[in-house]
Formats: sequence, C-alpha cells, structure tokens
Amino acid sequence: MKKFFTKVQPVQSGLYHKQSAPEEPLPYRIHLRLQPDGSGVLVVNAATVLHLNPTAAEYAYHFIKGTAPEAAAKEIASRYRIDRNTALQDYNDFSARIQRLVTTTDLDPESYLDFDRLLPHSVDLSAPLRLDCALTYRLPADTQAGYAPVKRVDRELTTDEWFGILDKAWQFGIPHVTFTGGEATLRDDLVDLIARAEKNGQVCGLLTDGLKLADQAYLELLLKTGLDHLLFMLQLDNETSWKALETIVPEDIFVTVHLTVTKDNFSSTAPALERLASLGVKSLSLTFADPQLPHSDLQDKAAALGLALKHDLPVPYSANHPVALETAEDNVRGGAGKAWLYVEPDGDVLPAQGLADQILGNALRDPFNRIYKNDLLQKSNDEKRSS
Amino acid sequence: MLRKILTALLILYVALILPASALAQSSYSFGVPLESVDVSWNSDGSEALQYAITFVNQSGAAPIDFVDVGMPNSNFDMSTVTADVNGHNVSVSQSGYQGSGSGFSVVMGAQTIQPGVSGVVHVDVGAITGVLYPDSNDSTYASADFAPTYFDSQYVVGNTDLKVTFHLPPGVQPTEPKWHSSPSGFPSQPQAGIDSQSRITYMWESTSANAYTEYTFGASFPKHYVPDTAIIQPPSILDVIGGLISGLFNSSWALYFCCFILFFVGIPIFSAIQGQRRKLQYIPPRIGIEGHGIKRGLTAVEAGILLEEPLDKVMTMILFGVIKKSAAEVVTRDPLELSLAQTQPANLNQYEIDFLKAFGQKDLSLRRRALQDMMVALVKSVSEKMKGFSRKETQDYYKNIMEQAWAQVEAAQTPEVKSQAIDQNLEWTMLDHNYDQRSQRVFTGPIFLPIWWGGYDPMYRSAPMVTGSAPTSLPTGGGRSSSLPGATFAASVVGGVQTFSNKVIGNMSSFTSGVANVTNPPPPPSTTSYRGGGGGHGGCACACACAGCACACAGGGR
Repeated sequence: MKKFFTKVQPVQSGLYHKQSAPEEPLPYRIHLRLQPDGSGVLVVNAATVLHLNPTAAEYAYHFIKGTAPEAAAKEIASRYRIDRNTALQDYNDFSARIQRLVTTTDLDPESYLDFDRLLPHSVDLSAPLRLDCALTYRLPADTQAGYAPVKRVDRELTTDEWFGILDKAWQFGIPHVTFTGGEATLRDDLVDLIARAEKNGQVCGLLTDGLKLADQAYLELLLKTGLDHLLFMLQLDNETSWKALETIVPEDIFVTVHLTVTKDNFSSTAPALERLASLGVKSLSLTFADPQLPHSDLQDKAAALGLALKHDLPVPYSANHPVALETAEDNVRGGAGKAWLYVEPDGDVLPAQGLADQILGNALRDPFNRIYKNDLLQKSNDEKRSS
Repeated sequence: MLRKILTALLILYVALILPASALAQSSYSFGVPLESVDVSWNSDGSEALQYAITFVNQSGAAPIDFVDVGMPNSNFDMSTVTADVNGHNVSVSQSGYQGSGSGFSVVMGAQTIQPGVSGVVHVDVGAITGVLYPDSNDSTYASADFAPTYFDSQYVVGNTDLKVTFHLPPGVQPTEPKWHSSPSGFPSQPQAGIDSQSRITYMWESTSANAYTEYTFGASFPKHYVPDTAIIQPPSILDVIGGLISGLFNSSWALYFCCFILFFVGIPIFSAIQGQRRKLQYIPPRIGIEGHGIKRGLTAVEAGILLEEPLDKVMTMILFGVIKKSAAEVVTRDPLELSLAQTQPANLNQYEIDFLKAFGQKDLSLRRRALQDMMVALVKSVSEKMKGFSRKETQDYYKNIMEQAWAQVEAAQTPEVKSQAIDQNLEWTMLDHNYDQRSQRVFTGPIFLPIWWGGYDPMYRSAPMVTGSAPTSLPTGGGRSSSLPGATFAASVVGGVQTFSNKVIGNMSSFTSGVANVTNPPPPPSTTSYRGGGGGHGGCACACACAGCACACAGGGR
C-alpha cells in the first residue's frame, strides 16, 4: 500500500559496465554512470562520452544489463507515464543508435544519430571520467631532462595503497584509469595494479616510454593482464624508442603515440609522422611546448596520413594540443579537475599533472567526493564557467 | 467595454520541462527580454499563432533544451506547427510535451541555448479551432480571448517587453470590433491598425511586463465574419435545469447506481490515476555528445567534400588549384592531358600531389583508379579533420563563405574588379550547387581572364584571339590576359567539369560508388531502425552512389 502512494524513484545510482562478448566482431567496453538525479553518463570505449537524460539513462541501464526489449519496455512503462509500445520503440531506437556508434567509426553522431552537440566539458559531472595515476616519478637513467617530473614526492604509495585508491575510484564512479609517471613500468607491481583495475571493471591505460615493452614477454604479460590501451611517449631521436614501437604496434592493443613538438624537433616532426604512418600507427597525440609553433600543417599532415589526433591526455604540455590551439578563441572549458584528476606517487591529487600548486586532497586519506568538491576546484570551475 | 460570457481557455502555457534532462543538473534561470505574439483570427474561425521569444540564459544555469508550448485545447494541427531557433529549424514533438493540458514541445536539440547565451525561439501554429465564444453583451458578436505564454516565476529574471497583436478576421470593418479591458500594466486600450492584408489589428505592448504572469487580452467582432459552427455554444439554462430534475427524480436509484459505479469503476479508475501519478514524467530519450563547433581552415576543395559536391566538380577544382600554383598545365582538353612542371611547388596539398601523380599515369584505367584512390584519401582526410567538430555547423560556415564569395563578385562595379573577384573566389563560388545557372546570371559583361587561364585553356594559350567570341584587349599592362564574355567564361568552367565526367572519370556513378564503398561502407545489418528527426535516420545513406554519399560520413562529432 505504501508503494501505491510512493513516487517512483530513478534507478539506483552507480557505475555499470558492459564488455562485448568474445564472438562479437568489434570489441567494445561501455560504462554507464547513473547519477543521483537519474541522468547518466555513458562512456564508450573510454573515449566517447555521452550525456543522457533520465529516460535515456534508464534505457542505457537496460541496454547494459542485456534486458530483452519487451521486458525493458514493460519496465519503463511501469515506471514512466508512457505506453509500452512507445517505450519499446524508443528502446529499440536507443539501442540501435548506441550499436551504430560503437560499430561505425567516423559517423557524425550529430547528423546521423540525432545526438545533441554539447560544448566540451559544459555538463556537470558527479565524478571524473578518468583518473591519471602517477605511480612513480622515477625515470630510466638515460632519460632526457625534458621528461623529468616537476615535483618530487616524499614517498611512493605501496601496492596495497594503490589497490585501495583504485577501489575507491571505482566506487566513486570513475570508469577509467591510466598509469603514468615518471616511468610507470619501473614499478614492479604494475601488472598487479592493471589486474586490480581490470577486476574492478575499469578501463586501464598505460603511459610509457615503451622501452621496457620491447621485451616481448613483458608486453605479453601486460596484455594478458588486461591492459586496454597504451600511450607511447615516442622519443624522436632515439632509435631504441622507434624499435620498441615497432614491437608494440602489431600487437592487439590500441596504441596512441605521443610527440611533444618543440622548436628543436619541429622540422623533424613531419617526417616522423610519415614514419609512424608507415609503421601502421593510427592514433596520434601532439602537443606543443610553445603554443606559437605552427600547428596546422602538422594537423593536415596527420589527417592526410590517416593519423587520428587524440587530446586531453596526461602528457607534457597537454593543454597545447592542436584542437585547443585552433579553438582558443572559442574559450572552451578544459577538463582538468572535472573530467579527469591526477594522483601523484604519494597520493596527492591535482586537477592535472603539472599543477602541483593545486593540491585538492590525498587519495589515500580523503574520500573522492570531498576531493572532487574541493573549494579550490569548485572556484576554478566557476571561474571557467563564468568566463 | 464588452465582456465575454465565457472566458475562452486560450491560455498558452509555455514552460521549460522540469526536470528536463540530465543535461540540466543545475536549475533553469533565464530572462525573456522580448516576447511578441501575433494572433490571427481567421475567417474559418480558427486561430493562428506566431511567437518570437528571446531567451537570455543565465551563466551557470541549466541549458534550455526543451520549451513546452501549451495550447488552448487539443484542436490544433501538429502538421502546421513549426519552430526555429535563431533561424535554424528545430523539431517539435507532441509526445514530448510535459506541460498541463494540451500542447507540444520544441526540441531545441543542437540549438539548445547554453548558459550565458541568448537565442530567439520562433514558433508558428497554423490552425487551432474551437477558440471563439459568444459575446456576453451582444449576441451578434463573437468573443476572442487570448493569454500569451508565461513561465514559472522561479526561473525567470528581469522584465519583458511583451507585445501582443490581434489580427481580426478578413473583412472586419474599422468601426466594428471592440476590445476587452486590458490586463494590468498595459495601456487601457490597444493600438489599432491595419496589417499588410488589410486586416484590422489591435496591439498591446508593455515594456515592463514579465514572462511569468498570465495576461489575458480580448476583442469581439461581428460573428458573421466566421461560421456559426466555429463559435462554441455553452449549454442552455434549460438543459442544465432538466438535467438536475431528472437526477433528483431518480435519486434512490442513483444512490445504488453511484455505489455500484464507485466500487466497480471508481476504484479501478482511482487506482489507475494514482498509478499514473506516482510514475515519473516521460521525456523522450535524448543523448548529448561533447564536441566543438566550426572546423575552420579547410580548403575550398575540402569544403567541397564536406558539402557533398559531385566528385567531378571537386576534381575540376583541384585542377584549377594545381594550375594556379603552376604545378601543371593542360596540354589537351579532349582527351584531358596535363603537362607537369619539372619542379613542383612546395605548397601543394596532399590531394594535389596525388592528383598530379594520377595524371602521370598514361593508361586511362590506371589513371582512373589512381584518381579514385586520391578521392578516397581526400574524403578520409576531411573525415579525420572533422573529428570532434560539428559537421552541420561547419557546412553552414562554408556555405556562408561561398555566399560571401558570390557577394564579392556581384558587388563588383567594373569588369576589372569583377574579374579580380572571380579569380580570387573561383573555387569558393564553385561550391554552389547551382554554379552553372548562377554563374551564367552573375558573370555578365566581359571577364578579363586571369593570368593562369592559359594553363587551363590550351587554345587560349596558343591563340588567345580565337577563344570564345571577340576577346577584348588587355585592361592593364603586362601579362597576356584577355577577356571573354561572361557567359563564355562560365561555360568554360562548367565545360571543365563535364570534361572530367565524360573523358576522365567515364562512368560517374561507378566512379563514385567505388569511392563511397571505401569511405562509407554499407552499415552492418540491424534488426531495428530508429526514428526521430535529423538526417540520415535508418542509415547514413552510405551505400548509395551519389557523390554526397561518398563523403556523407566525412565528419565530426567525436
């Protein structure tokens, strides 16, 4: 009787996860974060972020659960003021669009899937979408000075401490973690940490100079453990770095190659892009140490070579990527501190790497909801919004 | 001042859907500095509405993604309802309406008004019937009342310049109509006038109105200007009294009957109503994706791909490009053969390099294949460039550039200036779907040929005076430019496209599908199809064999 007079509530908030079955031709991973107000964030392959209104979020919930269309329509019709036929039609429509998005690359979702375009980072989130975990600030002995981290930390967290942070992040609703450094492969427990993220259901990426991955056995181990994608920090003038890349590219893992363009290496970047394309690299991250460096020619070159540009990654000069430089006058908000957070080797949390003066809390000691609601971050977000 | 017998329920309730969507987690807060509505009372007794509402969304507020428009009754024809935001058409949905009573929802979609941004929403409703009532003071008159849109006061900030204009039925004479008392805050009598269709108008305006108060305006006019059937008649007193007597006469039976109804009908109805009340409001599922707006910096050729221009035209544009850059010149036009420069300029685009390589092939089938590969690479390159940007907004942007190019040509006052404008804007004007007709219309008078024209027209190069009809002498010193009649110049450009179609590409349909099959492979089979607005539903039209489809997936969004 009580239920009879109680208003229907949105589906329980939380993080839901779906991975394609092995027999499916195109592998994919989908994460749905249901927010307390009933809305949702659907993350496809840790790359495409969709914002759903409460109805769409509920359809996504059934999509991820694998509910039969008729059953989903019945459930929706029992919870919303809508007839079952319309609900069934809308559910099928929703499922078809998501499947189309997953299986058909290069399709403009605004024109062909009837999605609404939103300004980047304009939607408030209940939790970040990605956590960048700097496991160590140590670097291989012969690494160039430019790769050295800015901030030194007193200590590195233990394996168990990182386990705790990964678990807390998952419970907070963060579907994606990347391990970075320093050089993350210097941590002996990297495999264990990847396994933990995988066990949680998190998409797991690794940012590395890749040299250790030239060891085929080590690479195989990472892949078998569940590493989902690799961000390879290419050292243009280091043939060992190129050799390591040649080893990695043929493997069954999504690889993005990062190049930091400087005045010194600018002239050799275009030939490097050609070499990357010839190796079969498909995904590229470019940032510019000096935003005054011309970027459009390299952008055009990458497009002509079929190198898809990725950005907003935890790389040096991450704010100076070509799209940010191109759209500078549009005053687009950045995602640091909102779409992603950065954890230093001692657990301190920053909005992004390099912002060592903006410590939001400590991931080991503080709950993520307090870190994410840090006044410093809120003030920064408000300023960005008002600007 | 006349008063009505019954107040027609002509309240247009416009409210933002709450909680409209996940996209709106913060609260709505907006101003409505301007709102105007034209209410046309038609000769068939129906009412037509034209709304223009300016929203100024507050910084930090939720995006305005839906606007509900309530209707006075359910007698409106959805097929006559249209809406746009800042001139961009948006869809309307009756099922998505969340307000009270009848109405429809304006689905803002890509035109969602973001925080800190303003936008003008236009809504047209072609016909609403059942909106006229008899006048209380004069049985020969019909009464027409109307209350324009208003919003929930908790979301509205500031004042509104509200203007309501009645257009009375055709034929009503200036001395005949009468206005009703004005709502508070408005002048006591409206401003009378005559519109472009010679219809009497009454206009009420207040600059200190607000968008959350219900203001009711009214007028009466002789009822013979509309059909009797269009005027809603209230039940007569006799009907009412008769019903009451009958009820009393059967009171004991009525008691039993009422109990029966209550038990077997009332409780189920109550259950159903309560069941509905406890349910959540259903807002059609909406999916938002983050992306940038306009992709700037595309070349005219790349814009041609994005605008889905035919591939033969795109290749003609590339040909002009390489000739302008002195990378090649036409040796013969039939068959089309090029002579490539010994030293290629450094500023060639990749597609131009590929284009020249293709013409290095002597075998026609190999050349055709190489051109096809070149087009595939070009489409893919544009696709890569468009990732993360809005295809629609970018298309609009380049269409605008094309129109500006035409405007420059059309504004030129002298043949010299016009010729210069044509030379500078040739590729951009070629983006026009109707280039053939428009160039014939715009290219009037003599066109002084650009210096590179000789590279395109070998006849002109060898014997300039025999090209077309009666070229005139040079207007400026140096070079060897001459002129052609505008129509001949336009025909030469169009002829270049036809040469590509007929002599180089061969079967255009086969060539295009060869490109489209690579750039836009048919989608995987699906057991469902999706509905709703927007192009490309049910598929991206990828499998068809038109040039547009070759690049239909060239772009954007993620």
